[in-house]
Amino acid sequence: MSALLKVERLSGGYEPVQIFKDVDLEVEHGACAGLFGPNGHGKTTLLRTISGLIDPWSGNILFDGVQLNTPGERRTRRSRNLNYDILVRRRMDPKKVARAGLIHVAQGSPLFPELTVAETLSIAPAAARGGGRPSDPELPFTLFPQLKERRQSKARFLSGGERQMLAIACGMLAAPRLLILDEPTLGLSPKLRLELADAVHAIRGAGVPIILVDQDVGFLRDLVDKLHVFDHGSISRVLPRADIPDHETLMADLFGKAH
Amino acid sequence: MDLPTLISILQSGLALGVLYALMAFGLAIVWTTLGIFNFAHGAFIAAGAYLAWQFGNAAAFGLGYWAGAVLAVAAMFVIGAVVQLLLVRPFERHRDIVLLTVITTLAGATIITNLLNVIWGPRMKQIEPALDGEIVFGLVHMRSQEAVMIAVVAVTLFALGWFLLRTPLGRSMRAVAQNREAAQLMGLDVRLLYALTFGLAAAVAGLAGVFIGSIRFMSPTMGDDPLQKALVVVILGGVARFTSSVYAAFAVGIIEAFSTYFVGLYWTPAVLFGLMILVLIVKPEGLFGRRQRSV
Amino acid sequence: MRYDPPFHRTNGLRPAVAILAILIGLPFVVVDPYTRHLLVLSFIFATVAASWDLSLGFGGLFNFAHGALFAVGLYTFALTVKFLGLSPWLAIALGGIAAMAAAALIALPVLRLDGIYVILVTIAVAQLLYQVTVSQSKWTGGTSGIVSLPALRIAGYSFIRDGKIGYYYAALLLLVMATAFLYLLIRSSLGRAIVGLRDHKYFAIARGVSEARTRLLTLVASALFTGMAGAFYGSYVRVASPDVFGLGFLTLILSILLVGGVATLWGPIASAFVMTFLSEAIVSLGPWREIIMGVVIVLVVSFYPGGLWAAIQELRERLDVLRTGVMAAWRRRTERAARIARMGGAEEVMMQTPHGAIAVSDTGGNKPPILFLHGNSACKEAFAKQFAALRDEFRLVAFDLPGHGVSDNGDPETSYNVIAYAEVAEAVIAARGLHRPVVFGWSLGGYVGLELAARARAPLAGLAICGTSPLAVVPDDFAAGYDASSHLILASKQYFTRAEAAAYAGSATAPRSAESLYLHHNLPRTDGRARAYMMTKLPVVNWPRQMRMLREGKLPFAIIDGADDPFLNHNYLLELCRSAGWSHPLINIPKGKHAPFFNTPEAFDTVFVAFCRRALAAAEEREPAAATRSARPQP
Repeated sequence: MSALLKVERLSGGYEPVQIFKDVDLEVEHGACAGLFGPNGHGKTTLLRTISGLIDPWSGNILFDGVQLNTPGERRTRRSRNLNYDILVRRRMDPKKVARAGLIHVAQGSPLFPELTVAETLSIAPAAARGGGRPSDPELPFTLFPQLKERRQSKARFLSGGERQMLAIACGMLAAPRLLILDEPTLGLSPKLRLELADAVHAIRGAGVPIILVDQDVGFLRDLVDKLHVFDHGSISRVLPRADIPDHETLMADLFGKAH
Repeated sequence: MDLPTLISILQSGLALGVLYALMAFGLAIVWTTLGIFNFAHGAFIAAGAYLAWQFGNAAAFGLGYWAGAVLAVAAMFVIGAVVQLLLVRPFERHRDIVLLTVITTLAGATIITNLLNVIWGPRMKQIEPALDGEIVFGLVHMRSQEAVMIAVVAVTLFALGWFLLRTPLGRSMRAVAQNREAAQLMGLDVRLLYALTFGLAAAVAGLAGVFIGSIRFMSPTMGDDPLQKALVVVILGGVARFTSSVYAAFAVGIIEAFSTYFVGLYWTPAVLFGLMILVLIVKPEGLFGRRQRSV
Repeated sequence: MRYDPPFHRTNGLRPAVAILAILIGLPFVVVDPYTRHLLVLSFIFATVAASWDLSLGFGGLFNFAHGALFAVGLYTFALTVKFLGLSPWLAIALGGIAAMAAAALIALPVLRLDGIYVILVTIAVAQLLYQVTVSQSKWTGGTSGIVSLPALRIAGYSFIRDGKIGYYYAALLLLVMATAFLYLLIRSSLGRAIVGLRDHKYFAIARGVSEARTRLLTLVASALFTGMAGAFYGSYVRVASPDVFGLGFLTLILSILLVGGVATLWGPIASAFVMTFLSEAIVSLGPWREIIMGVVIVLVVSFYPGGLWAAIQELRERLDVLRTGVMAAWRRRTERAARIARMGGAEEVMMQTPHGAIAVSDTGGNKPPILFLHGNSACKEAFAKQFAALRDEFRLVAFDLPGHGVSDNGDPETSYNVIAYAEVAEAVIAARGLHRPVVFGWSLGGYVGLELAARARAPLAGLAICGTSPLAVVPDDFAAGYDASSHLILASKQYFTRAEAAAYAGSATAPRSAESLYLHHNLPRTDGRARAYMMTKLPVVNWPRQMRMLREGKLPFAIIDGADDPFLNHNYLLELCRSAGWSHPLINIPKGKHAPFFNTPEAFDTVFVAFCRRALAAAEEREPAAATRSARPQP
């Protein structure tokens, strides 16, 4: 059985600075992959590359056997000042990625501040429609019942937790075949963290494959099949669920004792 | 001041207001969606007027007023999308996009204005109005052309409002305006939406040009003055909501009408700009709005 | 022990003086009054554009009333000369003052706004000023302006005479004064505050920079010479017309600024000449001229947003890269024999790596290998004394880092950093078949050695570093590990002057002498980008991993420093080596400088050879060479 998502020797970053290099990542059908690593080491950049927001420099991104990016190396930039944005074709299209069913729920996204919850949810199935997948309009409210009473609120009046719920709900309306959740519990109170964690468990229980990024090793250990440890721009270890150590051990491994 | 004077002042304020609303709509929607200020907007107005003249007038293709107007608006939609492609898209991901597009749209305005000059010459022209004569309704005396204009603009504004608020495409345009990346991740075609937005703004500017060209004389620089007024409107209204620039447009139209009557034609622009600066000092987000996008 | 080599923050003084000399001499060659007229206009526009660059480029304040400030100067001149009968010279000064006052007024609404709002409100202010000017036609002549203003004169000599030569020099003086003023301002603490507010607003505010005060000062300072230029313009064209309020004039100045390069000061000055002459060259084309200028502006800004000044910088860099590349290629062929002789007869071979062709010196033979890694802006021949003294006992290998010695120049983004250098070292180890070498890294080479060991892709017998402070947290430890001298500035400076090159080579190895001449001779070959990029790419290295590797203590490791090394913070190293769990020796070579292996070779060699023997013996104990060597696949 081939993997659902196969990332091969992927390198990328923000021109001209390379952020990650030669990353290999595989997510099986029906699996949940965890991504753990220190802040500022390029996890989010990697995920933004996989979902096509920024162009990869080299490597392959295969989703269900289909290559999402233009294969080959990026064009080398000989001049520091030429505007390559108009000289170079984009090598990846986020629209295509989303329509294929690879859905990225970005970290701490403010979504659309002036659109109401109902309006936001009404445009969320665009990717599902574009990819010909059915999408259940009631799903957001079964996952997060409290969104129902906030239907007419603009996104900017939502609390951090509600906004995160809305973001995940939008992701689910896109009928994901693989859902990327980038730190869904970032900056939330313990109570809300639990609530969102429950929702992620529910999504996982429904059989949706997930790439989950979080800073809480315990949370990851409950959910993921494999944990990918990401530091200094590459995946340094892949741990099967049984081998995932606790938070302190993992951090000590990554940073050593301070000297 | 007697009642007929008051009515005639209000009436001319209304006529100005609908024109300003049309012009400000395009500026505001481009500003909120793409985060840039389009200095070529005035040139769009002039281009729309000349195209309508070319299609409609007996001296040119002679298709008639309405056919000319429709064709001009359609052509302006395409021109707007092309201008976006050439002048704005190159900087889509550039951190200095605001400044760079100021100069490219200024240059674009120069190019369009001079092209109009090259093609149609500097001589004054006028679009033959759709209707002649006056409508009398009680104390209200109105040129038929003005009545047509007010009616068409009202319908257009309602249609635009309905489009932006109710249709999926309009909602997508608003979504892109507020968070480009989230829109991309939802699978929306951001580039297409940008081009559509710019096209729509240009088409509406073209419509404004058609009306201006049929009540005043046309010249390649006829858009400069409306552009400045639209600027005042957009600042006074703020850009947070579609409706706020419409309110501001009518406010500016009526203030201008009163100011012209009481202070005189010469001082009116100074009054407007002074008022605008005052508003900006006191309430930078506009009279009716919440500041939403300060790049 | 502190040593501060001399350095220049820029090397621009000589070119600037040369260009000024040319401009002073130009009227003797250019006698045609029309060309002189264009030059005068260029000077005026350059002054206005460079002043605007202060607020718009350096300050990030999009003041679109800048044209109006020019107009304020112009009308102040016209009104005071015409109606008050003031001396034109005094009126020019007054023009500057009036523009500054107007700028202070503009600053009021701008203080609270950002981005596009600033553009809109300043346009509105400009329009307001225009409307007021035009409406007061009794004084200002309305739309037709104030005409027949008096020309400048000194003691009866009119500046118009002799082909406007007086105006030429007056305009040049204005430009020089404006440039000097802006240059000094940008380099002052106010200039740093202005740029700081633009780039890191909240950080700057948190550091005590007052946003309102700085914005006000920025606008006022940008107005001074703009207003004077406006007044001077009035005395030159002798008309004050309200056109200068309009978008047309603003577009002209803005295109000068953007085509020249924003936030560069010199860019707009250079492009003022280009744009003025270009626009005049096609003046016969009528409306097409405006169209062509518009298209040119759009093309330049679209394809090359950095503008003229960025192009000049890029050209300079390309020329420098060409120079160093040609030097390397030339020396590779012509001085090969001299290098082989210097390295005690060690063969020099070129090998291909992903980071370009690399020159390797290898004494060869079936002896325990030592790999030498040289430092910033040096070359493999820095180890000539060791190659001569130690070759009987060891196989000695050294190579030139990319961009150094006779190796190729590399790609700056990918090849000029510690990780890439470690990759090159791995390639050399593999290609030369070095089995478990001892690595000696000097200065920058010390970091390469640490990275090489931490990556652990090529097994090593031991690592010794010299003139290098091991780091765990960058940049904090970097600041702690070295004595913060101007040497660190030179270490990342792209272009050296001759004095800087001599100072750098002198302090890093040895002052110029017959013995060290070849090292001084080598230094100008170094690709300047290697210095600049190496320093900016420090954060990409996994520093904690290096420190972890050292603290694990598995690899024999020693720090061998010169006791008089002027760059190291010796206390940092002492503390590090005294910390709990640290098991490696710290050896100071008496009288040794930054390069003890060169300055005091005997003392160094004794210590170093002892280390190598120990490390190799330990490695032999762990896994005997004979067994692994036969099991290892041949490269």
